[in-house]
Amino acid sequence: MTVEKKQLTKKDLVKVFLHSMAIMCSWNYERQMNMGYMYGMAPVLDRLYADNEEEKKRAYQRHMEFYNCTPQMTPFIMGLTASMEEENANSNGDYDTESISMIKTSLMGPFAGIGDSFFQGTIRIITFGIGLSFAKQGSILGPILAVGLFMIPSLLVSYYGTFLGYKSGKTYLAKLYEEGLMDRVMQFASIVGLAVVGGMVASMVDITTPLKFAAGGAKLGIQKMLDQIFPKLLPFSITLGIYYLIKKKINTNFLLIGIIVVGIILGALGIL
Amino acid sequence: MLIKAILLGLVSVVGVIDSRWIGRQNIGRPLILSSLAGLVLGNLSQGIILGASLELISMGFVAIGAASPPNMQIGSVIATAFAIISHASTQTALAIALPIAVAAEFLDILMRMIMAQFGHSADKAIKQGKFKKAQHIHVYWAFALNATLYFLLIFITIYFGANSVKDIVDMIPKVITHGLTVAGNLLSALGFAMLLSTMLSKKLFLYFLFGFLIVAYSKLDLIGLTLFAVILAFIMDKVVYGRKEKEEEQ
Repeated sequence: MTVEKKQLTKKDLVKVFLHSMAIMCSWNYERQMNMGYMYGMAPVLDRLYADNEEEKKRAYQRHMEFYNCTPQMTPFIMGLTASMEEENANSNGDYDTESISMIKTSLMGPFAGIGDSFFQGTIRIITFGIGLSFAKQGSILGPILAVGLFMIPSLLVSYYGTFLGYKSGKTYLAKLYEEGLMDRVMQFASIVGLAVVGGMVASMVDITTPLKFAAGGAKLGIQKMLDQIFPKLLPFSITLGIYYLIKKKINTNFLLIGIIVVGIILGALGIL
Repeated sequence: MLIKAILLGLVSVVGVIDSRWIGRQNIGRPLILSSLAGLVLGNLSQGIILGASLELISMGFVAIGAASPPNMQIGSVIATAFAIISHASTQTALAIALPIAVAAEFLDILMRMIMAQFGHSADKAIKQGKFKKAQHIHVYWAFALNATLYFLLIFITIYFGANSVKDIVDMIPKVITHGLTVAGNLLSALGFAMLLSTMLSKKLFLYFLFGFLIVAYSKLDLIGLTLFAVILAFIMDKVVYGRKEKEEEQ
């Protein structure tokens, strides 16, 4: 019996591109663009796991993890992970699905860095600069040019990014997989991915304490002292503390509510 | 005033569509929303001119990560409306709009917390095999929540006047707004902890620490950090697999 190879079509990838535009729709404090990524991958997962409900659940769940990146850069990463999902769907279960999450995580940080500074930092400043010079005189060309000129590179990068991501996944990652080099790719991606997540914890989790204590008549800020000894100690220890609770199998729903309550109380007491 | 309030509310929904559905093409920027607000109030060119000055003022206010500057989507619609309706100067109109823009940011914080809860509903839907429902939570529920909140805020402000809204905002004690901000920041720690729970192992902890320490001590950005991490990954690749290759050759 020959099993037909599952193959994504161009139409599927166009859907990924369209879905990817809603990446920010449910931006939240917990996992940021997690549902957006799931939504973007949905057409691919529906196609590949149509006949395997359990696999499909796992695939949907794996794309519900923390994700944050520039909307315009995301289609490339989605294309890449789409090619990996395709490989997985055709592999009889010996594909390491963790590598999909690892690739995603290791790319989102640097891509966001490049994307934010390119689109919001450069292109927007240029196109809105052009638009503003017309808008100051009340010309309708102002708002039209500002957005119109911005949308050209924005949509082009998003659209072609989807296919480019898929193709590079097919050419490079699939080749590495066939040559049995995925272990190496995994190690590589885990190192970069975890380093990036570590960096994100330091730069994106903003927790400081306003506490002060009196010492010999002078008031000393605890945060200032912490910064000198171990900067970002609070984000670090709180993230790892919550990580420990998750590992202890504490329900994340309970954690979510608990953290909101504890946050409000600690904030009100002036501890954080 | 009822019609105007509804139309201006819809202008803010255009901003919501931009950020939620079409990937931030910058239609939600003050320049565009003020122009649209001018259009529905029958004074397009003044809307555009106001939009230009509000855009210049807010050029610095780009939300990056979870930082919270005043919400200029709401701010620009309200400022434009007051400038056109009551012939106020841009500065006065902005002064009226700013407390409401800050209140809108407060609403945003609440909204992002509720959406974290949506995420758990979507997790549950996936576990039950309701894949369409999980998608709908993201693309419809979240959108509806955001659009409704913004629409109501603009509608109430325009219909009942900025002062009545400001009075309500003033009634919310600082303690609560501060507490919510803290809770929001703690939630991002939860998000990272959930991500780490699938990635981290004792063997890999050092790499997490590596990234954290570099950024904590040097404030290096993520591109710079990635470059260092790639070099480290190359070295570890040589260390682990280079040795194996040699053994195989012998």
